[in-house]
Amino acid sequence: MANLFVEGKYGDKGIILGNEAIARGALEAGVGYASMYPGTPASEIIITLDKNKKYIKNIYTEFSLNEHISLHGAIGASWSGIRSLCAMKNVGLNVASEPAHFLAYTGVKAGLVLAIGSDPGAPSSSNEQDDRWYSLHTYMPILEPSNIQEAKDFTKKAFEISEQFSFGIILMAPSRLCHNAGILHFGDCLDRDLISGNFKRDPENYLNLFNLAVKNHKKYLERNELLKKYANTSELNIIIDAETGSRNHNRRRNNNRIGFISSGVIYAHLIEALNFINADNYKILKLGITFPLSEELIKRFLNDLDEVVIVEEAEGFLEFQIKKIAFEIGYQGKIHGKNIFNAYGELTVDDVIKGAANFLKKPPPEYFDTAVKNLEMISDKIPQRMGTFCVGCPHRGSIYSILKASGYSNTDSKDRDVIIAGDIGCYTLGLLPPYNAMDWLTCMNSGLSIGQAISIADKSKKIIALVGDSTFYHSGIPVLMNAVQNNSNILYIILDNSWTAMTGHQKTPSTKIDIDGIPIPNAINLKDLLKSLGISYIKTIDPNNVKRFSVLIKEALKEKGLKVIIAKRECILQEERRNKIKNVKLNNKPEIIYELQKERCVKCNECFVELACPAIQLKKEDDNKEFYFIDTVACVKCGVCYEVCPNGAIRKVEFNLHSLINSEPQVNLLNNKENKTELKIIA
Amino acid sequence: MQQFNIAITGLGGQGIITAGTILKNAALNSDLQDVSGSERRGGAQREGYVEAFVKYIFYDSVSEMQNQRKNMHSPMIASGDADVLISLEPIETLRAISYVNKNSVIIFNTNTHIPISVRMGKSKYPELYDILNSLYNITDKVFYYDFNKLSIENFGSIISVNVISLGVVFAKTNIPISKNVIENILLKGPKAQDNLRAFNIGLNL
Repeated sequence: MANLFVEGKYGDKGIILGNEAIARGALEAGVGYASMYPGTPASEIIITLDKNKKYIKNIYTEFSLNEHISLHGAIGASWSGIRSLCAMKNVGLNVASEPAHFLAYTGVKAGLVLAIGSDPGAPSSSNEQDDRWYSLHTYMPILEPSNIQEAKDFTKKAFEISEQFSFGIILMAPSRLCHNAGILHFGDCLDRDLISGNFKRDPENYLNLFNLAVKNHKKYLERNELLKKYANTSELNIIIDAETGSRNHNRRRNNNRIGFISSGVIYAHLIEALNFINADNYKILKLGITFPLSEELIKRFLNDLDEVVIVEEAEGFLEFQIKKIAFEIGYQGKIHGKNIFNAYGELTVDDVIKGAANFLKKPPPEYFDTAVKNLEMISDKIPQRMGTFCVGCPHRGSIYSILKASGYSNTDSKDRDVIIAGDIGCYTLGLLPPYNAMDWLTCMNSGLSIGQAISIADKSKKIIALVGDSTFYHSGIPVLMNAVQNNSNILYIILDNSWTAMTGHQKTPSTKIDIDGIPIPNAINLKDLLKSLGISYIKTIDPNNVKRFSVLIKEALKEKGLKVIIAKRECILQEERRNKIKNVKLNNKPEIIYELQKERCVKCNECFVELACPAIQLKKEDDNKEFYFIDTVACVKCGVCYEVCPNGAIRKVEFNLHSLINSEPQVNLLNNKENKTELKIIA
Repeated sequence: MQQFNIAITGLGGQGIITAGTILKNAALNSDLQDVSGSERRGGAQREGYVEAFVKYIFYDSVSEMQNQRKNMHSPMIASGDADVLISLEPIETLRAISYVNKNSVIIFNTNTHIPISVRMGKSKYPELYDILNSLYNITDKVFYYDFNKLSIENFGSIISVNVISLGVVFAKTNIPISKNVIENILLKGPKAQDNLRAFNIGLNL
């Protein structure tokens, strides 16, 4: 796409991700400030602007330390007359809920859009919360685009609405929209030369205390009423009449007087579902603005129908509001919603097809039911596959060491004397088999927070609390200070991989070197920070040094009070990327490969199950005997398996890649038997 | 309106998302054409399940394209609604079996990647024979190759499994896209010559 994202103009079209479309909408609207704490599925919204910032005039991008700071940043920019975009994942709004609750009181100057990536089905989150409910008390208006084009168009429009009514506007995008990729028709961008900040004092709006707060409360309730009127006629809300949409004019009119209400991606599922079951003759209300609801529009829609089905995900935010309106107008018809569709899990297109088919008594085509049954018939034969650490991930070494030190490898027993507190980040994957390494996982920095209370409540247990570097900086420092002040009897292990890795490797406050190998100024020294808090037990270790690490953990658990271990090793993906950029592989230095010698392997499972590195794989020989081997293509030579093998079955081989490459341009390390004569066996 | 749906599944790092993007870029040439489809990215790089949907839409007329009941499409593929399933790992083919119907074409990679549950002995990795049986019960059009082996033999790494599999799509299915369009897209992308060669390897399988 070269740089269509930046240079595209009206008339251009390109394949683009939903998140990129949101970023593009902001760009077309002249956004000057863009911030977020990274979080799947929303990350690419700000990543896209950040990675293109050198081509965009007058833009500032920031990966803030947390969502609270990030939203406040957007507010400051807006008050200075700069259109601002803040993005976060669903649970981010919990952290940013404080500024969100003041935004209506103070209002905005330049448009402020808060793009929220929700995550129904929780493929990348620790809960499924529907952030729309917040608006019942923050009064932040909500726009819900249904597809990629609307993601861009609604974002652009949101800036205008924000300024017109002086609200920060929420743009809701579930993961199915954030990560929908398809055609976007571009629009023109505002003149970026005009972007310049000028903060003007506005005490009437920005100061909130005593009666000043009450006055502002009254003002925003009034603005909300104006916005409801706007929603009556806004083109973002659409009624599709039973006839207009359909080309089949001669089809008999549906006299059931049934209608559907939906919004966002679920509306797209609904349209597809109704086409799927040949039920395209029902009235539909598509809500683009889902808070505040247009009361006039809802009344008009309801009054024309006997039964209305609200199709939406989660607990039924629309149903809640619409039933209130229906009550006020004394609506006599029936309103369906959560009696048909689940309040939990992702609402898939299949769910909408099934729900609509059952309700309308119009069966889906036979092949749909057959396909559903086909999977049901074999689903118990398909081995489960859950994510695990990347090959060479330093977290694997950490989790392995912790389990070895506490004696819980490969067990999910409920009776453990060492409690292991999880937290949010890549290392969270350690809660999955085969490690089963964690005792709870909820929100950011719940590990040490809950752990320090358990250390008081149950003195018989030893407690290890884990935290990643990015999560630590997000909101962990106050928790740690609390633990210091109360001298909590806890081992706190900071898994410092130098990056916010899970969301695409944004830098953390202590990232010292960027991906190009250039030092980052003002990087915080983690150890100095810990020392300044008065913590006396601080050790640093390489987590891939698993034997030393597990001994260290055992020792630390014997000590009383607060102990901190920094498990420091850079994320392997970043290290590999940097090496690729610097072309390290072509340097004239010895390369290493690890080989699993099947004749010495007794399949003790230390590497295959306990460590569970994905590069160690299973193969069958012709005589059907199974053996383990190291997939040299996948292996990144971290050497941890070599260290853990109790039988010396894994050997380290050193050779000179440079000479191999020079002698034969298409080197195949797997099959190149001749060149093995050059290999020097060092272990 | 004609539709052609392709589901691509596999594991993080196999180039599933890239394969989807290449196919989607082929839909930019006509005004009466649309394409979209969501991606499951969560497992990227971490051994997790990754999928990409490619839904081609061909409108019969401008008025149909402007029809609000026709021009909105779910980002997902409904059960039985995929014309083609490309899967880069055998058991992921089974997991995606609900997308296909008796007329669908299934193209899959026979190279296995053992999940943790199998490592731990909690479940058994099915035999290729059983996997094929399950697939042939649904459709006759099943094509399977060791894409990993082909990629390693030709390019020294598994980097090309995705593009080789795209070549197979153009050889074995009635995808309503010209292969020249894909070749042009590959030509403009990174590692153009390798990708063109990989595409052609797939075309000739």
